[in-house]
Amino acid sequence: MVDAQSTLTLDDSQRWAGVYKLLDRSSLIHPEFEPVDQIKEFIKEAKILVIGAGGLGCEILKNLALSGFCNIHVIDMDTIDVSNLNRQFLFRRADVGKPKAVTAAAFINKRVQGVTVTPHYCKIQDKDEDFYQEFALVICGLDSIEARRWMNATLFGMFDPENPDTMKPLIDGGTEGFKGQARVILPGNTSCYECSMDMLSKPTGFPLCTIANTPRLPEHCIEWASVLEWPNKHGERKMDTDDPKDIQWLYETALARAKQYNIQGVTYSLTQGVVKNIIPAIASTNAIIAASCCNEALKLASTSAKYLNNYMMYSGNDSVYTYTFEHQRKDDCPVCGNAVSKMEFRGDKTLEEFMDFLKEKPDAQLKKPSFAIAGKPLYLQAPKSLEEALRPNLLKPLKDLVSSGDQITVTDSTLPFSLQVEITLV
Amino acid sequence: MDAKTQKYDRQLRLWGNNGQAALESAHILLVNASAVGCEILKNMVLPGIGQFTVVDAGQVTLDDIGSNFFLDAESLGKSRAERAYELLGELNDDVQGHWASKDILSILAEEPNYLSKFSVVIVSNVSQATARKLAYLCSKDTTFVWVKTVGLVGQVRIAIPEHVIVESHPDNVADLRIDSPFLELASYATSFNFDTEDTMEFGHIPYVAILLKYMEEWKQTHGGKIPSTYAEKNQLKANIRAGMRSPDDENFDEAINSVLRSCQATVVPSSIKELFKDEKCENLTTDSSTFWIILRAVRDFVEDSGKSSGFLPLSGTIPDMKAQTDSYVTLQSIYKGKAKQDVEDVTKNVNSILERLGRAAESITSQEIESFCKFSAFLKVICYRSLEDEYQHPKTKQIASWLADPESVFPYYVILRASDAFFEQEGRYPGEGPSDGTVWEEEDVPKLHSLVAGLLQSWGLERDAVPRDLTYEICRYGNGAIHNIASFMGGVVSQEIIKLITHQYIPMDNTFVFDGARSVSAVFSL
Repeated sequence: MVDAQSTLTLDDSQRWAGVYKLLDRSSLIHPEFEPVDQIKEFIKEAKILVIGAGGLGCEILKNLALSGFCNIHVIDMDTIDVSNLNRQFLFRRADVGKPKAVTAAAFINKRVQGVTVTPHYCKIQDKDEDFYQEFALVICGLDSIEARRWMNATLFGMFDPENPDTMKPLIDGGTEGFKGQARVILPGNTSCYECSMDMLSKPTGFPLCTIANTPRLPEHCIEWASVLEWPNKHGERKMDTDDPKDIQWLYETALARAKQYNIQGVTYSLTQGVVKNIIPAIASTNAIIAASCCNEALKLASTSAKYLNNYMMYSGNDSVYTYTFEHQRKDDCPVCGNAVSKMEFRGDKTLEEFMDFLKEKPDAQLKKPSFAIAGKPLYLQAPKSLEEALRPNLLKPLKDLVSSGDQITVTDSTLPFSLQVEITLV
Repeated sequence: MDAKTQKYDRQLRLWGNNGQAALESAHILLVNASAVGCEILKNMVLPGIGQFTVVDAGQVTLDDIGSNFFLDAESLGKSRAERAYELLGELNDDVQGHWASKDILSILAEEPNYLSKFSVVIVSNVSQATARKLAYLCSKDTTFVWVKTVGLVGQVRIAIPEHVIVESHPDNVADLRIDSPFLELASYATSFNFDTEDTMEFGHIPYVAILLKYMEEWKQTHGGKIPSTYAEKNQLKANIRAGMRSPDDENFDEAINSVLRSCQATVVPSSIKELFKDEKCENLTTDSSTFWIILRAVRDFVEDSGKSSGFLPLSGTIPDMKAQTDSYVTLQSIYKGKAKQDVEDVTKNVNSILERLGRAAESITSQEIESFCKFSAFLKVICYRSLEDEYQHPKTKQIASWLADPESVFPYYVILRASDAFFEQEGRYPGEGPSDGTVWEEEDVPKLHSLVAGLLQSWGLERDAVPRDLTYEICRYGNGAIHNIASFMGGVVSQEIIKLITHQYIPMDNTFVFDGARSVSAVFSL
């Protein structure tokens, strides 16, 4: 079909010569592959969803467009910040403040003829299952664990083993400094994001008593300023870590405390790093991980080579190192497994202490958990009236609330699934 | 915070202002605006490389715009060098770009020293003969990079005669000297009252003081020797555990957990001893680089056992530990004080060397000496083999062992070498041409495979050491540029170049091969 609007019709077989050789020719290392023309049509027409239009997202959009995918959607709730410009190459200084999804989509649409990127400037949680059901494949380039867990659980929730169309492959990339990983998640087949929560390092936090009484590091002084001193001085007003004035106040407050204790090393940059939990990010690592994700997307969509089964780690600190392996499913995974997870906890510790334990436990990392036992609530974060009525339970020892062998249902508003814990009191 | 610091915040946290300054004074040459070449430059322009130059005699084709993001439909028929320069240049206002729509060999014919103005020369899409010629013409201060992408396979070769690294960013630089505390440290350890009734005070004795106390007791009962075997170290742990009063004494837990790492004999690592013996350290000249001069000063310091006890300069860094603020800050200042003393001693040595060489004392900054001392246990020198050595003196034993591993990606190196030979004979790469048809399969596969066999034979290896299925696969790819692979390799290569320019972190030595069909990679020192 000739597009009357187009001043120039590009010959696909010349333009995509590199990819088309792969699609037109058979392979001896992957003899299952049958080169048929429908594959090219499928790649052109398949709807691909990209989650995130940041460092990985910009790369992913470019890579998909140049792989021949012509129908791409992207979701991102963020706007462009000046600190994005060292790697998010679809944005310029004049774009600061504009929505990432809209700006990135417009750039790709202009640069790569015949490709349509549709932006969605919203949260992933704003979209329902009907929306996600339309896509052939989802690629995540996120820096948030919470958003990844949500997306993973949502796609697994949609999967019906009786209906292959409901199986949405999820390709997930992540980076931190010179390190990163790419993985392929197939509902019903491979391990899922939730299965690997224990591979994440424990969220960094400092004990409150250290911050309050025995600071030793500049970070302790910064935490003191943001956790203890901010509410003291500003009451209800919440800190805005994107506001330089608030960071400046924290910096000066932390610096004063550091002086008092003879601690060196509090800087504006460190203050910002600690309170915003900044992870170093560079163009090169994003390029490597995004390219790896899109390489897998092309292989999955075209069947022209074996896809990654199922995890590749990359590290560039010392030489160039990749490690490819099959990450195993976790039997008691709350998303793709069905067994109940078993935990031991001291009966004389309170429900609040149990809650703190779950907040810190790497494979749980709950934000605002609620607890129930056989449908009866032990503690609920909302509504407010129930929260107040149940709050005294937080201070009770666990042994007054549950018995060994009880199954506790833990829910969290940030997660679209619940955790079943069989507790053993010790 | 100024605008530049804001823009570069996320990378300054990795390589700091020094690394950034090094990037900003570097100039990169890209020979041929291929998809992978432009991806490398993208990742260099974004973090603020000083300058880049694109040299390419060609015009933009349809094939280019399908695989190269920095050549668009509007560019068709125009100069590839100029368009790549324009579309890459707009990524960062702080970067200065240049271009020349000429062939690199004709530039060199007019200006033989052309390459010497660049910190890095990146070549792609060139014949083996041209690559070898360019590598040969790079001076000792120019990093040569040759990158290839063929279908789902990528390969990069790096060469520079000598690369030195001070800031390799090791995970842990703490050097606690538990086995041989210097005077101030030993007396600090004895200042704690282990018999105190105050549980708060007891629970806050820093673990370094605990280790020092129990180590001293051990030495006294073991003829001055420190625990060396695993069993002895476990005994030391048990001794410490016996001194614990309550399971809440986390400081004792910290002490026990660090026995294996911290209670070793302090020695100069063998890798550093090797560097001390290097001829460049032994025989300094007026042309010696800062690295070798400071290294010699450190060696002289180590040999002066009255000052150093035979140890390297102290790093002066300690980890966080359970402690009261005062005792932690005091401990920190004791280590820092000793480190400062060591830096002063090394500085004296540096100055007397500079004087001897007839060079100005200020030609080496105090910051350079400080950082050298801090990381002296982790210094690294990489001497890359030249391309000529690789081609004329192949490491056949190593090659045989790589080929013996059926999972290895090494066969692709061999096949790409044979593909270069194919190009010399046929004037095209194997599998090039229309993607349908049967020529690639019926003619190119056997031809390429016999070149592979010939190459293997010339190394004294079995002619069939490379599986034919892989030769077939390379012919299938037909020298096609697939953007994902170009982008992957662009990421890897730019990261290596950043490490080389900043002299931070450790670059690979010297050839990296990526197989995108299996998502596996490896580094080979050829």
